[in-house]
Amino acid sequence: MNAPKRIFALSIASAIIATACAVPPAAPPPAAEATRPADPVGKIEGQAEQVAAAAVMTAMPPKPGGSAARAIELAKKYAGVTLNVTWEAGLQSQDPLLFSAPEFERLTGVKINVIETPFTELFSKAVADHQAGGGAYDVLNFAPTWLADLADGGVLEPLDAYIEQHMDKNDLSDLHSTYAKYQQWKGKTFGLWDDGDVFVMYYRRDWFEDAKNKEDFKAKYNRDLAPPKTWQEWDEVCSFFTERGKANNEYGCAIQRTAGNTYLWFYEQFRSNGGRFFDADMKAAINSDIGVKTLTDMVNANKHMPPGIEKWGFVEVLQAWMDGKLGMIITWPPIGRWSEGYGLESKQLEWVPKTKVAGKVGYAVSPGGHSELAVGFMLGVSSNSKNKEAAYAFIQWLTSPEISGQRVKIPFALRDPYRMSHFNDPEYAKLWPNAAEYLKVLQEGAATGLADLGIPGAREYEEALDRAITAAYAGTDPKAALDKAAEEWNAITERIGVESQKAAYEDWQKRLGANAYP
Amino acid sequence: MTTRAVESIAPAATRPRRGRHKARAYAWRYALIAAALIFFSFPAFWITTIAFKSSSEYFRNPPVWIPANPNIAQNLEKVIRTGGLTAIGNSLIVTVSATAIALVVGTLAAYSLARFNTGGNNFAFWILSQRFLPPVSVVFPVFLLFRVLRWVDTFHGLIILYATFSLPFVVWMMRSYIREVPVEVEESAQVDGASRLRTIVSITLPLASPGLIATGIFTFIFNWNEFLFALVLSRTNVITYPVKLTSYFGPESAFWGEAATVSLIATLPVVIATLLMQRYLATGLTLGAVK
Amino acid sequence: MTLRPHARKGRHSGKYALVAPATMMILCIALFPLLYSVVVSFQNIDVRTPVGTFVGLKNYFDVLRDARFWNALGNTALIMTVCVTAELVLGFILAQTLIGPLPGKRFITPLLILPVVIAPLIVGYTWRMLWDTQYGPISQVLGWIAGRPVEIVWLANPATVWPAIFITEIWQWTPFMFLVLLAGLAAINPEYREAAEIDGASSWQVLRFVTLPLVWPVMAVAILFRALDAFKVFDIVFALTNGGPGTMTETVSLYAYSVGFRNFRISYMAALTLILIAIVSVAITVLWRRMSANQERMA
Repeated sequence: MNAPKRIFALSIASAIIATACAVPPAAPPPAAEATRPADPVGKIEGQAEQVAAAAVMTAMPPKPGGSAARAIELAKKYAGVTLNVTWEAGLQSQDPLLFSAPEFERLTGVKINVIETPFTELFSKAVADHQAGGGAYDVLNFAPTWLADLADGGVLEPLDAYIEQHMDKNDLSDLHSTYAKYQQWKGKTFGLWDDGDVFVMYYRRDWFEDAKNKEDFKAKYNRDLAPPKTWQEWDEVCSFFTERGKANNEYGCAIQRTAGNTYLWFYEQFRSNGGRFFDADMKAAINSDIGVKTLTDMVNANKHMPPGIEKWGFVEVLQAWMDGKLGMIITWPPIGRWSEGYGLESKQLEWVPKTKVAGKVGYAVSPGGHSELAVGFMLGVSSNSKNKEAAYAFIQWLTSPEISGQRVKIPFALRDPYRMSHFNDPEYAKLWPNAAEYLKVLQEGAATGLADLGIPGAREYEEALDRAITAAYAGTDPKAALDKAAEEWNAITERIGVESQKAAYEDWQKRLGANAYP
Repeated sequence: MTTRAVESIAPAATRPRRGRHKARAYAWRYALIAAALIFFSFPAFWITTIAFKSSSEYFRNPPVWIPANPNIAQNLEKVIRTGGLTAIGNSLIVTVSATAIALVVGTLAAYSLARFNTGGNNFAFWILSQRFLPPVSVVFPVFLLFRVLRWVDTFHGLIILYATFSLPFVVWMMRSYIREVPVEVEESAQVDGASRLRTIVSITLPLASPGLIATGIFTFIFNWNEFLFALVLSRTNVITYPVKLTSYFGPESAFWGEAATVSLIATLPVVIATLLMQRYLATGLTLGAVK
Repeated sequence: MTLRPHARKGRHSGKYALVAPATMMILCIALFPLLYSVVVSFQNIDVRTPVGTFVGLKNYFDVLRDARFWNALGNTALIMTVCVTAELVLGFILAQTLIGPLPGKRFITPLLILPVVIAPLIVGYTWRMLWDTQYGPISQVLGWIAGRPVEIVWLANPATVWPAIFITEIWQWTPFMFLVLLAGLAAINPEYREAAEIDGASSWQVLRFVTLPLVWPVMAVAILFRALDAFKVFDIVFALTNGGPGTMTETVSLYAYSVGFRNFRISYMAALTLILIAIVSVAITVLWRRMSANQERMA
């Protein structure tokens, strides 16, 4: 997941910072960050050692001829070099800070300087640096929908030659085929996939299995109570549970509705309903009948959710879910791990509420049969880097089956499984009783999932749609709200160039295939 | 209507009634004041209780007014770990430096304006006018400049920016305070051969020191509370506490305990300063237009 | 510094040196970039076009045709009108209540004025927690009064989002009006009022024909200050709604921020901010006349 991860923008500027910066932080020079101690303090120390130990056990020795081993050999040529790597600030950065970077340095002598950056800044800083002549960064973290803008803007280095020369090609097919589709733009590879962010529908098995619930539900709807397969069923189940539990502050379902990311759930439901983003002339089609129906349904669904849902974000949903107050939620993968208490004892996840739902959680893809592949992360090499080969070696190593397999299992991990070897990892399947089922749903979600619209200007399209949706939640007629958003979409398209956008959109559909539209 | 008015209107013959009248007037006044006090202090009370609550306590329906086990340590610890105290430290560095620079530079200019009317009224007004421009329209050109200078997300960048936009206030305030210092005192010092700068430092400023202190505290408060400039110009190195606060609220974050704790810590010094500076408050807030 | 003793030769020499640092800072940090942004506003720079070409007045026309800009301007005007009026009335009532001798006044006044010095962003976030539907005390207290749960989504309901913003803004700035008017009222020579009362004026007449005219110069300055500040409003709305739902509560500052710093439409933002500056300049000129008139009166 990523948004929540990102979130944690707030999060966890890490005990390391807190202690390392006990000295007044008067303009810490970049070098200070580079030399940030890898073995930090207090309780994190235990964690880090634990993780590092696990790494040593499974990673040593790397499979000869594998991508990880070849990346290490390649990087050794650059021993002593420092790579500047952008990473989302907060919880996301714990992985490189505590695990990946120290390990890579130990193996290759290449120093990794993690530059913690808030999510949205990952884009603007990369662009601003490139426009100003660049060179500040070697490795870039970015959301897949930005790939087009970053590649067109010349910010990213094409990686095909490096892959050809250094990667074990079997690893390309180990990447889930859906995620493999993202890595190219206009025929060239610009990034390596690094995060299987897919929405999961979590539901309370105990509520669904309750005999009284089953009986009452059957009596009312004349069908068996089961995790919903369509959005209509979702609404019925949700309202059923809400009517039953409202007096105890229990609600059938909740989906974060506050401004910012609520468009992701529209993207999902809209396309499950058969909607298309643009028509043949590249005019926005989000205000089609399907769009209006989708948004109307979303607005109506709010009635069964907790009061105030229009202002709920990720944390409010998480809080109520972990507290056992919700029957169903649709959100990013980490909640599946946290629900079972996995990693919650780590200092990094201390802010996550204690779970009251462990052992009671079932998983499914979203109603409609398609989960949004919501945001996600990729790694790329800056075209301004002075050590492109070393930078490439680092991201090949990070995303190799062996290393990424460990990274998705770090207790405080926010990178979610994305390789076949992750989905089939027997170790992962043992992390909690029904972890195997969790992996199965993540894999199914990836296979049938829907990619965010990934063309130039993606962020602007998203914002315009997001505003329309929140306006509709507040009572604006869904048709009127979407008409306005469509107008804004057309203005964005015209500003960037209708013909070039049309080509980009066609390219996106062709690459993603059934992951663009089911 | 004021008591004074009540007193003088009431004829002497109705003295007993007047007592009741007066009591009723007092009752009304106190009732109004009590309502105002509750309204104006309740938010402070609420945010204080949140700082002392755990997340399961502030995310509870119906809301709990008094935490069962008041404990700020749990939130404080998270604030420290998420860089909240670092942000307050950053704010302190930026605010104190900018205030100091603005006081020195601004007072010199104010002296020149006060004593020689340098540049005339239009010049004084030009300086003042900087203060009223919408910050969003000011920060944008500055952002373009800083991008070229590579000053974005640096301490010196933010300090110079804050200092510059504090100048109008400092100049304007100090101009009026210096005007109140009699010129004759300075002239006698200069006759003794003291340089202009020494005269300012050793004669004028001590006499204008209450004004200088008031101006300094005000400048501090304005810079301390500044949000938009910092939001635009900070990235990772110079996150001030208001920018930090924004990371506690968002689609993916709702960290009320941390936010309340940071707010509380950040507000205390300002409140104390205000209580000390009460006398100057009206003057400061209206740039001397009201004394 | 070149302020050597020979400055005595002309008592005015050195006066330019004294204003030089301040002037330089303002020129370099405030004025020069502003001029540069004029240049940028005639180009078409954005995130995909780092090097702009000349497009004339296109950006200005686009801003003036931009429905979202006018919406934001209207919202800003709404906040200005409603809040400044309410603050003035409430502030005046409070000041009238506290003028004259009153036991305990020394402790009451400081408590009433504290909101003014708290960071507007903190005020915004604090009220955001107060307005929360489930976890905030406002809905709870209204629920007690109504005798049933009140589930108003204050900040996402078009009927309540404006009152919520107004009340928050009024909470912070009424004390400013109160404080300034208290100073203004205190400066009025009580003899004027007493004279009117002796002439048999009713308390309303005293207020209307004596107090208000005498306090008006101060009041006018206070109104102008608040109006100019309200025009800039950013922090409180940013914290409460960030302009939402949709763009229902977006102010000009929020819109400009979003265009410039989230979408990187750099030239467009330049044109927009210059239009804002033009609008504000008119108000500043009025303020300036007012303040110089006041100063003369006080001098």
